[in-house]
Amino acid sequence: MPDMRFAPPNPIRIADRSAGMNAVSVRSYNERLVLSLLLQNTGLSRMEIGQRTGLSAQTVSVIVRSLAQEGLVEKGKAQKGRMGPPTIPLSLNPGGAYSVGISLGHRHTDIVLLDFVGQVKFHTTLPIPPSVEYSNQSELVETVRQALAALPTKNNDRIAGIGLAIPEDADELALGPAGLAERNEALSSEIEAAIGLEVYVHNDVTAAAAGESMFGAAKSLDDYLFFYLGARIHHRLVLKHQIFQSPTQTSNAMGLLELEKRLSCDGQVTETLWTRGAKWPDYGPAKKAWLSDCVEELGKSLASASQFLPVNTVIVSSYAPKEVCDEIAGELARVHTGIEARSGELLISPKAMGAASLPFSSKFTVA
Amino acid sequence: MRQQLGSGWYVIEEGLSGRTTVHNDPIEGDLKNGRTYLRPCLMSHAPLDLVILMLGTNDLKARFGQPASEVAMGIGCLIYDIKELAPGPDGRVPEIMVVAPPPMLEDIGEWSGIFDGAQSKSLELAHAFEVISDSLEVHFFDAAKVISSDPADGFHMSKQAHEDLGKAIALEIEAIGWGV
Repeated sequence: MPDMRFAPPNPIRIADRSAGMNAVSVRSYNERLVLSLLLQNTGLSRMEIGQRTGLSAQTVSVIVRSLAQEGLVEKGKAQKGRMGPPTIPLSLNPGGAYSVGISLGHRHTDIVLLDFVGQVKFHTTLPIPPSVEYSNQSELVETVRQALAALPTKNNDRIAGIGLAIPEDADELALGPAGLAERNEALSSEIEAAIGLEVYVHNDVTAAAAGESMFGAAKSLDDYLFFYLGARIHHRLVLKHQIFQSPTQTSNAMGLLELEKRLSCDGQVTETLWTRGAKWPDYGPAKKAWLSDCVEELGKSLASASQFLPVNTVIVSSYAPKEVCDEIAGELARVHTGIEARSGELLISPKAMGAASLPFSSKFTVA
Repeated sequence: MRQQLGSGWYVIEEGLSGRTTVHNDPIEGDLKNGRTYLRPCLMSHAPLDLVILMLGTNDLKARFGQPASEVAMGIGCLIYDIKELAPGPDGRVPEIMVVAPPPMLEDIGEWSGIFDGAQSKSLELAHAFEVISDSLEVHFFDAAKVISSDPADGFHMSKQAHEDLGKAIALEIEAIGWGV
């Protein structure tokens, strides 16, 4: 073994080594550590990065320079502190990376394109065909192409991949056409072949929770209980950023489908319930009753989780209007003292946005 | 640099014209060898928070016949020396910053013999220095980002350039982040 001091250095700059989104294996653990930190915080100085990661100032210097050259990180204006020298705040460059998220529901498919800080650059909703014989795969692929076309072409190599959120809950799947699960399974490789980007598949509710952890209301939370209000109600427990889902878990029926049923009995039109981002009309007492039943069901889940560990924070996520989530969260916090309940921040389509977070976590963060 | 950094810093200048990274200069003399000078110099000034190295142009003289990558190896030598000596606070390794000198200009007048073939190599210095800085994990700054060589002789820096570079490096120093 020659003395390494006299051996030539690796002839490639670190910045060059990690150039190209797809060279995943070369992104070092330390780089991922810095990127994970910047996903959760904006405007950190190099010193703060060093303190929080335990990396030396010189290592942080090398990594930040490399990430800045790659366009993943950008420097802000120097901030004059009250004490000490001015610091230069570092943040992720929103245009440094993009990701596509697809959520396959039983009625609709949502497709989003997110930038590196979770801003929605493209969103659309496609109806699911009534039977699986008629595949909407070509329409789906076309829409993904449209989403990618929304980016200036110079950003083509900045797409981290495609996240695919699929429902696994038996009751949820039963709501869609027969054979939906098998159809969804097959889509992953079909999309991968058609678009030529890596596809990451995950359970849809778990993906939504992952999205809240990366971009949304749970950014700063280590532990929380996650409720997803869709056609049915789903729950996940998040401990130290790990999202737990029991293989035998079942969803609860007190979701939007139940509300629809009650409103229909009332003779009300319910189409708005399934429209992303639509404001609900005043549904009157039927909705009030449903909301209180819904909170009661959530309370039961909360109580059972609390038997095993202290639950302090609850996130209520849905594509239903934020006011509805706020109302549910507020009511939950009122009934259960000591609990902090908040609405999710991924609004239009939490599952698809969560799906889009998957390529980011796989390529840029410490798992 | 001093002005920009303010009273919290004590800046020691150790500039010398004709200094090389690690070579005894057969014409200018052995005293211009940066390697032999650096260690006692660090000892006399220790403890030091930060050591900045900006060398390399003189190594490109025809008499040494070095490619840019070899000059970077010379810088690497100095970095190892600093780490070994550990002249930082409490005997630790200080922060080290390598500054790549700006490329030489095409017209270097009567110096063209001494620096025969140096101009094109000088364009490669920054990359070679960044490579060695990355692999030895030290700070790096490319002076060409803020200044260029003085057209008066084609490879020295003007008064204005000194001032601009000083300010830019001061900002780099602050960006390292230092406790209060």
